[in-house]
Amino acid sequence: MNAVEIKNLSKNFGEKQAVCSLNMSVPMGAIYGFIGENGSGKSTTEKMICGLIPKSGGSIKLYGKDYIDESVRASMGVLIEAPGCYPSLTVWDNMMLQAHNLSISNPEKEVISVLKKVRMEGAAGNKYKNCSLGMKQRVGIAMALLGNPTLLVLDEPLNGLDADGMRIMREVFKDIVRDGTRSIIVSSHLLGELQKVATHYGIIRHGKMICEMTAEELDKSCRCFVALKAEEMGKAKALLEDKYLKVVKDEAEYIRVYDSVTPEEIVSYLYNHGVCVTEIQTDKIGLEEYYIDLMKEGK
Amino acid sequence: MSKEIKFESPTLAKRIKGMLGVDFYRLFHTPLFYIFLAIAAIIPAMVSGMTALPDPNGNMTALYSNVWQIIATNEPLYVVREIADYANMNMVFIFGGIMVSIFIGHDYKSGYVKQLFTTHAKKQDYMISKSLVCAFAMACMCITYFIGGTVAGLLVKYDTEVNVPALIFAIAGKMVMSLGWASLYTFLNVIFRRYFGVSIFSSFFFGTGILIIGAAAILEGLGLPGWILNVFLYGSSVNASLASNLGTFILCAIISVAWAFEYNLLGTMILDKCDVY
Repeated sequence: MNAVEIKNLSKNFGEKQAVCSLNMSVPMGAIYGFIGENGSGKSTTEKMICGLIPKSGGSIKLYGKDYIDESVRASMGVLIEAPGCYPSLTVWDNMMLQAHNLSISNPEKEVISVLKKVRMEGAAGNKYKNCSLGMKQRVGIAMALLGNPTLLVLDEPLNGLDADGMRIMREVFKDIVRDGTRSIIVSSHLLGELQKVATHYGIIRHGKMICEMTAEELDKSCRCFVALKAEEMGKAKALLEDKYLKVVKDEAEYIRVYDSVTPEEIVSYLYNHGVCVTEIQTDKIGLEEYYIDLMKEGK
Repeated sequence: MSKEIKFESPTLAKRIKGMLGVDFYRLFHTPLFYIFLAIAAIIPAMVSGMTALPDPNGNMTALYSNVWQIIATNEPLYVVREIADYANMNMVFIFGGIMVSIFIGHDYKSGYVKQLFTTHAKKQDYMISKSLVCAFAMACMCITYFIGGTVAGLLVKYDTEVNVPALIFAIAGKMVMSLGWASLYTFLNVIFRRYFGVSIFSSFFFGTGILIIGAAAILEGLGLPGWILNVFLYGSSVNASLASNLGTFILCAIISVAWAFEYNLLGTMILDKCDVY
């Protein structure tokens, strides 16, 4: 049984079709990286999963139950777009509100525990409106974590977080799914960060799911390349372009060769043509480049 | 082996308890409620104790002569006869309307409504909870209104003669009508949830009776029986006068519950069909 199973989901806003026959499967225990361009339909899909907007067609099952089933919905945590907090209340009051909303039996204890998890216990007395962007984001995540939710839906949770905040969130996410039943859907444009935690991916474009894969599958799909620097970069690039199909210069001024070739072969080939290689390594493209390539192919 | 996960279906009582917990916590932890309690006390005190009009000889005379005039009219009035009839405890429903608009509007402005509607699949929970909490707030405002109006009237030494049971039934009638009015305002705020300003204006217009008088004129023109107007437009709050008795109070209670049912049902239907955030 999957945590989330979506079939042929669609959503129309008047004439505009925001989501079109979308299929999506989030296994239990997964951290599902939900990726797409701005306006691709990520937030709309997430809002439908959370019951905030009605769907125009298709089905959404959460842990095998219809998405409007109150039992499964009572066990969800969300952070959609921005944290939903009352600005004039303190962080503590906002957390207490959510604890009441979830009918948590020992709200004070639970709120303290969750605030500690996101390292916000020291700011509990601050008014929400006086918190920085990163602090607000942490409060939003803390609210979503209250009550040990079975399914977390987080839209851009890493926005505004500093490096330490991102590390903490990675630990928190991994800890949540450790038991193998709870799942997280995370949409983010910070693909490098997402790649550090996600176990599954779904890529959406123009309201359609264009591919779903596990982290292992992504790893296999990500092309390897040889990156190098040489004494005469211009000549080296010209020589490599003569022999290999895909040769590019990256932002760090390395020449990348994407063809199936070993570093030794390249060093030998350039040496035979009078070019000395000063630095060479093999690497793999990351999620970000994979995604960009995929989008380019689509265009 | 596939992992098993069990979900417990929350009962209506548990769901409402959770939602009420949120609303009451917010009501008591923000200044809004206390500001409106103060407004509900100060305005009648000022109107009762400080309003004077010139008589035909040009002498200023107090608008009121009896302490309890500020609480309710002498008899049920659908159209006011004297300027003094304008101000009575029905003013609480005007203040209350604005308070409800701000209270509910902040749910949407802050985005907290996302948390409520995600974890509460049933939209009726929201309608019931808001109606009950806002009714409670308005009932409290009736009490501070009573205190403010009475103290001012006593300080300026107005006549205190009154039929005490009728006065009690009038106040109790207004207080139970708070539920009906709170439900109406919750419904209006659900309709105009994306337009904070419009929701405040709509509450104000309904509370002051401007829209109701217009609608009543149309319905009366159609020859509809009086009870329809009473149930759907006036909310029977006009019946809670200084001529009230137990029967009036029961009528107010029944109509208040009918309003609450009607507007909660309509509000739930709208929320079920529309984007809530």
